[in-house]
Amino acid sequence: MPPLTEAGGGGAVTPLSMLRRSAAHRVVAPLLVVVSVLMIILGKVDQVMFESVRISVTDYAAPFLDMVSRPFMVIDQFAERVEAMVDLYQDNLRLTEENRRLLHWQQAALALADENRELRDLLKLVPDASRSFVSARVIASSGGAYLRNVMVNAGSDSGVERGQAAVVGEGLIGRVYEVGVRAARILLITDLNSRVPVIVERSRQRAILAGDNSQSPSLWYLDPAAPVKIGDRIVTSGEGGIFPPGLPVGVVGQVESGIPRVQPYAPLAQVEYVRIVDYGLADGLPMPLAVPHISPRAAPRAAKTSRH
Amino acid sequence: MGTRRALATSPIGARAACLLPVATTLVAALLSLEPIPLPGYAVLTPAFALMAVYHWTVYRPDLLPPIALFGIGIGYDLLCGGPPGVTPLLLLLSRAAVLRARRWFVNRTFAFVWAGFAVLTVAAIFALWALECLLGWQLLSANGSIFRAALTIALFPIASFMLGRTQHALIGPG
Repeated sequence: MPPLTEAGGGGAVTPLSMLRRSAAHRVVAPLLVVVSVLMIILGKVDQVMFESVRISVTDYAAPFLDMVSRPFMVIDQFAERVEAMVDLYQDNLRLTEENRRLLHWQQAALALADENRELRDLLKLVPDASRSFVSARVIASSGGAYLRNVMVNAGSDSGVERGQAAVVGEGLIGRVYEVGVRAARILLITDLNSRVPVIVERSRQRAILAGDNSQSPSLWYLDPAAPVKIGDRIVTSGEGGIFPPGLPVGVVGQVESGIPRVQPYAPLAQVEYVRIVDYGLADGLPMPLAVPHISPRAAPRAAKTSRH
Repeated sequence: MGTRRALATSPIGARAACLLPVATTLVAALLSLEPIPLPGYAVLTPAFALMAVYHWTVYRPDLLPPIALFGIGIGYDLLCGGPPGVTPLLLLLSRAAVLRARRWFVNRTFAFVWAGFAVLTVAAIFALWALECLLGWQLLSANGSIFRAALTIALFPIASFMLGRTQHALIGPG
């Protein structure tokens, strides 16, 4: 091939012969390809092998990613403000109506809370361990079609621990599965590897919410005799000890070839802030059901103050 | 213009400017990690690093060594939570493919360069899909990948223009 020296398209060109001359180039590139393949195989065989490296790289990069993601956040906030100003009148009408409805519900809730407290007293029911939470900002997300996780700017120094639930106002988004000092990674419920024990609120039917990288995870192991309906609320069942029972997840949106798909409450694609909640549960390990509130791990955490 | 010339001709400036391809590829990889809150963006995140790798491999392959691609790829995999090794493998294979086919793109109109990138993107994103299917040992939906490839190809002219401009300003015609 003749050496290419002229400029073309958008840039200038270097003689290819220069590259050919370098023997190192001929060896290095294929060697690195082999190393990459070996890493993929090793990572597949031993999944925890790269975990500590991943956590320390994440920790070092977190402040930088945090800084870089700020301008995007500012642009987004500005766009939201403009949008809010445009919709001011409509929003006001809608919120006034919503407020009227919510005030009605507030009365109902207060009455129910009183009744609930009295009934609990009668039954001598042990209250749930108190919850504390950490609010964190999403600083990186896994782009591409095959991973659904986000990195947040809070780690073990803020009290984040592996296995804690991540929620946004509307519902569950996932759980913490890697924790560094300054950052943590949350596996979203839409990820291929996510499995959440859930319950259909209406029928109390148990199922597994399984992510498949699509926007709406599917429900597995449902009893075919009691089919779910579109619009059924799905909440966590608390089985397996990872999530507390009753955390809202989503509603059944559609049924595709016999498999119901759940529309999550939380807008998973647009999450900016998450709340990482400590429910006093152990790291994904099943705990004895009778004594969760007096476990040695849960006790000091219950005393921890809530944080914003 | 005067300062640009000075940068390209002064020995330190010229040496620093030679880091530009590695730096822009690194920035492109980091850009893919940005959590931009747009509906569906997470799935469709364009393969920015691939754009940089293609551009520099066509015009200044001497300034984008394989070891840099390996480092950037591993860093990206570790930060995005993916299986380590996948991104460096794809970037290195892309570089090798572009080096072989390079003579078809240089001295041609931009349409040829763009077409070359389109072929590379489709091949790389298909390879990624196949690799993920293999690693997960199940047939994954390719829908997201198709749209991702389309968006990556559609955005290439902007990236190419910006990279070409930066190259001319800082490195100068090789």
